[in-house]
Amino acid sequence: MSAGELLLRAAADAGYYGMMSKLFGAQVRGGEAAALVQISTEPVSCQPDRFDLFVALDWDKVDQFASEIPLDENTIIIADPQSGPTPPSIAKSKARTIPVSMSPGHATPLECALQGKHTNVFAAGAVGALVGLPVSGLQAALVTVLGGKSVEATRTNAAALEAGIAAAAGLDLDMHLSPAHPAPRWLMTGNQAIAVGSLRGGVRFVGCYPITPATDLVEWLAPQIQKLGGRLVMAEDELSSINMVLGASYGGVPAMTVTSGPGLSLMVETIGLAIAAEVPAVIIDVMRGGPSTGIPSKTEQSDINIAVYGCHGDAPHVVLAPTSVRDCMFTGEWAVYLAESLQTPVIVLSDQALGLAYAVIDPKLDRPQPLARRTDLSVGPFKRYAVGTDPVTAMPRPGTPGGQWVGEGLTHNETGIPVGGASVHLAQIDKRARKIAQFDPGPHWGSVWGEGETAILTFGSSIGPAQEAARRLAAAGQPSRVIGLRVLMHSTAPAASW
Amino acid sequence: MSTLEIAAPAHAQVLAAHDFHSGATPIWCPGCGDYGVLSALEHALAAHGRPPHEVVLVSGIGCSSRLPAYTSCYGFHGVHGRALPFAAGVKLARPDLEVIAVGGDGDGFSIGGNHFIHACRRNLDMLYLVMDNRVYGMTKGQPSPTTEPDWDSDIAPGGLGLRPFEPVALALAAGATFIARGFAGRSHELSDLILAGIKWPGFAFVQVLSPCMAFRSEQFGWKDSVRATSHAIEDDRAAAHAAAIADDGYSLGVLFRDHRASIPARPAAKASLTQIETQFMVCR
Repeated sequence: MSAGELLLRAAADAGYYGMMSKLFGAQVRGGEAAALVQISTEPVSCQPDRFDLFVALDWDKVDQFASEIPLDENTIIIADPQSGPTPPSIAKSKARTIPVSMSPGHATPLECALQGKHTNVFAAGAVGALVGLPVSGLQAALVTVLGGKSVEATRTNAAALEAGIAAAAGLDLDMHLSPAHPAPRWLMTGNQAIAVGSLRGGVRFVGCYPITPATDLVEWLAPQIQKLGGRLVMAEDELSSINMVLGASYGGVPAMTVTSGPGLSLMVETIGLAIAAEVPAVIIDVMRGGPSTGIPSKTEQSDINIAVYGCHGDAPHVVLAPTSVRDCMFTGEWAVYLAESLQTPVIVLSDQALGLAYAVIDPKLDRPQPLARRTDLSVGPFKRYAVGTDPVTAMPRPGTPGGQWVGEGLTHNETGIPVGGASVHLAQIDKRARKIAQFDPGPHWGSVWGEGETAILTFGSSIGPAQEAARRLAAAGQPSRVIGLRVLMHSTAPAASW
Repeated sequence: MSTLEIAAPAHAQVLAAHDFHSGATPIWCPGCGDYGVLSALEHALAAHGRPPHEVVLVSGIGCSSRLPAYTSCYGFHGVHGRALPFAAGVKLARPDLEVIAVGGDGDGFSIGGNHFIHACRRNLDMLYLVMDNRVYGMTKGQPSPTTEPDWDSDIAPGGLGLRPFEPVALALAAGATFIARGFAGRSHELSDLILAGIKWPGFAFVQVLSPCMAFRSEQFGWKDSVRATSHAIEDDRAAAHAAAIADDGYSLGVLFRDHRASIPARPAAKASLTQIETQFMVCR
């Protein structure tokens, strides 16, 4: 992963766009992995269906990734002969293997284990030089990736990088990239982009519980939110984290939790509570493969059903999905504004592919119009759940004299006192349905790319591949358009006048 | 977040118990111990002197969890078992507020048991008041974690046969810093315990023996079983454990105090988001 990041960072600094996706083994705490790096003169939004170059640091457990790394007869494989022959799962692509020794020949296995072979940095240097990235850029990227390691580690890594660069000169390969178009850009993951969006939207409290592939989002966020005077708390479980979020939000602070499928399943009851009691909350769900513990290291869009229909009863709320890594910032920020202004939970469905994708993006600011929570106290007796013309009613922050109210998950009357009876129940269901139904997403509902009679309707990380498919269809004389939804759910038909 | 804090520093005001009364009629049965707890809480809040709008009462589900709406404070009646995390969220986001979680033995020790352990450990400055009647009253009489093993019920004929849960011992094991036990039938003493818990600068757990007249009318006899504890144990957790295990569960008063600090205050903002975002810049 470090080698992939080093390459991508050096390419980005040289003015290229690019994206890196990650393949992990079944265990999520390290072990075998593959970094899929693309470098382009244009923005990249999906994985390719072939790679030009495959570098094997070793062949250990490569079989489990073979079907996910498309190679063909024009692919070049660089592998250390000490690692043995190219395994059949890779060799069947008919790609040409070029042997390159990546570890110092004189080092004993013990020395390698103690000092590290830095074969990954060697490989990054070799590939960087092969594609024509400047040496200074590779060196600068190495320093960033090492992130303040010891002087000795920095020295040996730098030596490995130089050895890799030198080795590339001895290879009879021309893989130089087309000239780049340098401009200021950002390099970030989808998870980081959502975190940035949420901070822009005003989130200053996060309650969370670690879960792949959402953990690195909150690990990035923890020190940053603290710098802004906010707080991130690791709760004892997801039931606690979502309830902490509601508590902080009730207290008046925009609040968010971050999870993945199993965590979302645990949170569903309290999401229903947030709907009934009308408390803003942002729930970021970085989806992974299910059901059950499933496959944490792979992407899926299979939480959409519980995100939209998971709650029991009539439970109108908002479900959004970012349309790209870059859009994670916009959608993350907008989610906060919608939650605050509609006093409802907003679920944002990201996924492993978007969340862990490391992408070079255009940093041009693209921000939604801020929307705030209603906290004003009206004249006369205050009714938190008043059934009036405006279904969005004021929710004074605790500490406001005269604004006392009790948030209530039971069917309640206009002041919030639990009551039975169909008419009151229907009145409150109608209030909440109207609140969501009257929300107009305007141009932010989603995006359309391309033209043509055929449309591909999609969302989230599937948008990038759909755009690539449409591009190829157009090139083949079949113009098609891609409709990418950002708003997956916001409306239920309001109850008739009862 | 400074704009969210209560504008003027809270000065003690002259308040009466009825200032904390909402006027809503409790759903509780005649003779329920929870009436005594509500009264004791209102008296304690009046004595504390912070006005109702600076107090947040949080609860889960059950008869006793209906309490917030009977007061004039801010409140939240959430889902079953989750009062403590919700209350933690309020306190972490708004340390300027007085936060009190309330509920029953089923809510706090069964479905919410994990949160009870971690609330003790987290030691946020809040009060947790558990009205323990050793029965699920709202669902008409099932055994709770504190019910005696031979208590006969429809769902467990002849008794559950399980050793009851000892909340004080568990709170000690989980690291609680203030543990007290009161009795709903001794409202004045209970009020003093609640006030001490409110003033305690950490997590204060007050277990209240609060009889259920509908399903456990024999608990009327608790008034003859309860007695004042000889003294509060200070800081010596091992001694407090020994005392808790030797106790029959009817000693009243502050049982244990550990002068361990609560979590540090939230740091003030020291960067702008624009500064934070510079870390993503490439190809400058």
